[in-house]
Amino acid sequence: MVDRLPRSVNRRDVIRVAGLAGLAGLGLSACGRGFGGGDDEPEGGAVQLNMVWWGDAKRAEKTQAALTAFQAKNPGITVKTEYQDSGPYKDKLATRFAAGDPPDIMAMRMDSLREYADRGALLDLGQHGGAVDLGGLSDSARTLAEVGDKTYGVPAGLNAIGFVVNKTLTDKFGVTIPDGNTWSWADLAAFAKQVTQASGKKVYGTAFEPATLANIIVFTRQRGEDFYNAEGGLGISEATVVAWFEMINNMRAAGGFPPPGFIENVGASAEQSYLAKGAIASQIIPTNNFLSYNAAAGGNLELLRIPGETQGARRGQSVDCPHLWSIASASKHRDEALKLLNFLVNDVEASKATGTTRGVPPNSTVAEEIKPGLQEDDQLATEYLAGLQKESLPRSYTYPPGSSKIASSLATIATEVEFKRQTPQQAAKAFLDAGRKALGK
Amino acid sequence: MTSGTTTHAPAGSVTRDVPAAPRRRVTKRKDRAGYLFLLPWFIGMLFTVVPFFASLYLAFTDYNLLNHPQWIGLGNFREMLDDPLLRQSLKVTFIYTFVSVPLSLVVALGVAMVLNQGIRGLPVYRAVFYLPSLLGGSVAIVLLWRYVFGLNGIVNAFLGWWGIEGPGWTSDPDYALTTLIILHVWTFGSPMVIFLAGLRQIPTMYYEAAAVDGASRWRQFRSITLPLLSPIIFFNLIQSLISSFQTFTQGFIMSGGTGGPADSTMFYNLYLYQQGFSQFHMGYASAMAWMLLVIIAAFTALNFLAAKYWVFYDN
Amino acid sequence: MTTRKRFARHVVLCFVGAVMMYPLLWMVSSSLKPSRDIFTDLSLWPSNWDFSNYPDGWTALEQPFTVYMVNSLVIVVLSIIGNLVSCSLAAYGFARLNFTGRKLFFVLMLGTMMLPGHVLLVPQYIVFAKLDWINTYYPLLVPNFLATNAFYIFLMVQFMRSLPRELDDAARIDGCGPFRTFWSVIMPLCLPAFATTAIFTFISVWNEFFGPLIYLTDSELYTVPLALRQFIDSEGQSQWGQMFAMSFLSLAPVIGFFIAGQKYLVKGIATTGLK
Repeated sequence: MVDRLPRSVNRRDVIRVAGLAGLAGLGLSACGRGFGGGDDEPEGGAVQLNMVWWGDAKRAEKTQAALTAFQAKNPGITVKTEYQDSGPYKDKLATRFAAGDPPDIMAMRMDSLREYADRGALLDLGQHGGAVDLGGLSDSARTLAEVGDKTYGVPAGLNAIGFVVNKTLTDKFGVTIPDGNTWSWADLAAFAKQVTQASGKKVYGTAFEPATLANIIVFTRQRGEDFYNAEGGLGISEATVVAWFEMINNMRAAGGFPPPGFIENVGASAEQSYLAKGAIASQIIPTNNFLSYNAAAGGNLELLRIPGETQGARRGQSVDCPHLWSIASASKHRDEALKLLNFLVNDVEASKATGTTRGVPPNSTVAEEIKPGLQEDDQLATEYLAGLQKESLPRSYTYPPGSSKIASSLATIATEVEFKRQTPQQAAKAFLDAGRKALGK
Repeated sequence: MTSGTTTHAPAGSVTRDVPAAPRRRVTKRKDRAGYLFLLPWFIGMLFTVVPFFASLYLAFTDYNLLNHPQWIGLGNFREMLDDPLLRQSLKVTFIYTFVSVPLSLVVALGVAMVLNQGIRGLPVYRAVFYLPSLLGGSVAIVLLWRYVFGLNGIVNAFLGWWGIEGPGWTSDPDYALTTLIILHVWTFGSPMVIFLAGLRQIPTMYYEAAAVDGASRWRQFRSITLPLLSPIIFFNLIQSLISSFQTFTQGFIMSGGTGGPADSTMFYNLYLYQQGFSQFHMGYASAMAWMLLVIIAAFTALNFLAAKYWVFYDN
Repeated sequence: MTTRKRFARHVVLCFVGAVMMYPLLWMVSSSLKPSRDIFTDLSLWPSNWDFSNYPDGWTALEQPFTVYMVNSLVIVVLSIIGNLVSCSLAAYGFARLNFTGRKLFFVLMLGTMMLPGHVLLVPQYIVFAKLDWINTYYPLLVPNFLATNAFYIFLMVQFMRSLPRELDDAARIDGCGPFRTFWSVIMPLCLPAFATTAIFTFISVWNEFFGPLIYLTDSELYTVPLALRQFIDSEGQSQWGQMFAMSFLSLAPVIGFFIAGQKYLVKGIATTGLK
């Protein structure tokens, strides 16, 4: 039959294809990776925990070091880990839960905590009393994952938002930075305008995302309202939304805030930021990123509190966390997972290994103990958090289910206002309507 | 063989049965051959069909991924009638499809025709023009767009020479979709490669004959290239239409998954994804998926009907 | 055509080519800059050269990059074989044979292209988990051997339908059954379609992110796109320079395959001299 093959597919081609297939076969039998029978459980009664989180390779290396220490102390337990970037992580987690194949212990976003918890997918740590000792956590930290009388996770680390100012630029333009503990939003506006004017419009005084929830939440709390209230509804008033957008519009009109379309929504890392490029002189950042922003922006950033903390009805800042550790209620190895969680939260060695990759350790004693070993910028961020935790801040409530819709509708109306397609009044009304609909209240 | 039997057979009921028997056998044999060729596909359908109908079932349920789906009949579809964001996403998807599909096909065919004229350095050009399709959705490249299309980006610097103050091409809600359409046309390489392959299948003797008859280039294009390439054009049209209705990655990466600025790049599939995976409304997302299927099927069917008048098969 | 006209055509093509090449050049140039310069130094010619991104990036992740490259290559090669064999069989059936239910099946096949993949994800995961295929390559490979990619079937159907019918008739008169006709007559003439399928499969499988993301858990099974994403953490520090360096290296096999395979794109009737 081969003899009768037409010219255009000659024997050499056939041999080549066969050779290629043979090579592939050899490659397979040589390594055989990926062609086994699925997940292998370890033999001999050992327990294998599956732990997942998001982050980059560096965070993984640090976490792995902590897990190695854990496994050395607990010979019967091995931990199989997996990590991705935050977006894909979220999709895979949801898929695994939906298919009934959840990990044992996982990084949980604050804004999806209750999507899982309210549907019974997460373990209530309160039911397992002493298994995870939360005694070392401040009130602000402990209540972060509290829903009613249940606790569905422990902060993997703590952070807050802070205002950073590039001192190199302000020195260059001869603008003095207001007192970071007591400045008001009006001070910020005046400062920003000064910078822009002194630089001849080459550098804008300040820029931050009006639609980032953490930012507007501080402003809301300062006005005596809760963005999300204890009942899981929207507590923010129309007047506050209007005030927020009018304030930013005014700063923009005065020149302190960049024109519409200046801030792109792609990428949020320190290196890509306009602060690093010297196009703006100040912005809001999560405090756990202070080190990377300072490195990217030339090493002369000053970390201030958010404006308006001493002028408002009450304190606005709150202690937050990059993510929680939660345990799946369907986990087959609950006790071991709880043990690991307790180790991550309370063991000094664990936090020494992980450092500040997920923010300041939630256990205050542990945080103090690892502080001397940290880089200077991380020490500063740790002190910032320690300071906040010692003060009495109004309690914040968990994001109710449906809150992702609220975040996206806030982003939409913020752009509408930015490009003057809607007035702050129209936008506020549209936002509250959409928000109430999303929460079903 | 069959014709031989009919001509010699006398009239009557028997004669009608005689040719019928072997024909049935022939059909059976033909059936068997056809089914044999499709065997892998039939087995593959098992993998496809189960999730396919599972999602159809889910379209009639309230399903949050974590609890068992609850049957709610037409509830999801009723909700879709009163969803402004769904209307917005349909609008975005339709504009994108009806502008970018014809545009990129015309560009792809044009470039393929130019490259098919035995130009020197053809492999280099072909590879270079195909490059964007290789890079398309990579994370690295999206970062680049920010520098090309940003308020102070390369495009605006270029426009600045001519005294035009350009907008924020990706951050301004009035321009973001246009930018995505431009980027789509930029990846004309895939249809171009298919056109090129199709052009190469047209026997050169047709052109030689036409040249002898003194037909102009335009005339050759109209009477030889277009009809003989029509099955390939038709393929590219259907394929781009289907994939364009399902656009996801471009919108997702450009807006970081939000569909912004101000929902101006909220593609249907992006909104579907948000509903399913960010808001845990998988029932609603499934209903949306089946509505999209109906929309795409309708447009595809229309095209297949129209194809009778312009697609030329040799049979 | 005059020389001037030909020259003008090359100028236009070169200009278009430059626009097409720009991102690749930018990627190469970024991979040769220190991370902190990538977003501040916008010129294509780096002001500070830094070659360390290549060796550092190669070993920065849990496994050396060789592992990811080999994994991706194994999956790609098998997928190409699977797609070529299974899709061409199905396409021949649809394009050249008559059998009961052909139209219905064809519509069904097109229909599978029309449903958004996101809603199929969970049911698919459940099916593959039931088969105990999670954390193996089977979910990524087996469907390719079972002609589940309607795009390629449809592509080949269109190519086969544009071939003259007389070819089949001539083959039948010579006593060829459908398999012989397929193998000896149709297949050689569809080489461009096969090359297109192979190239497209290479690119789409090489770049596929979501499937490997969902189904693979061990880092030693990871593919190149999964590895590349591990350089980035959208909420923390990212190794951009290394990411660009490895992105560029991972493009090499695709570009190489395209250049090697593109000569088959043109091996149609026109060049084989068949009438």
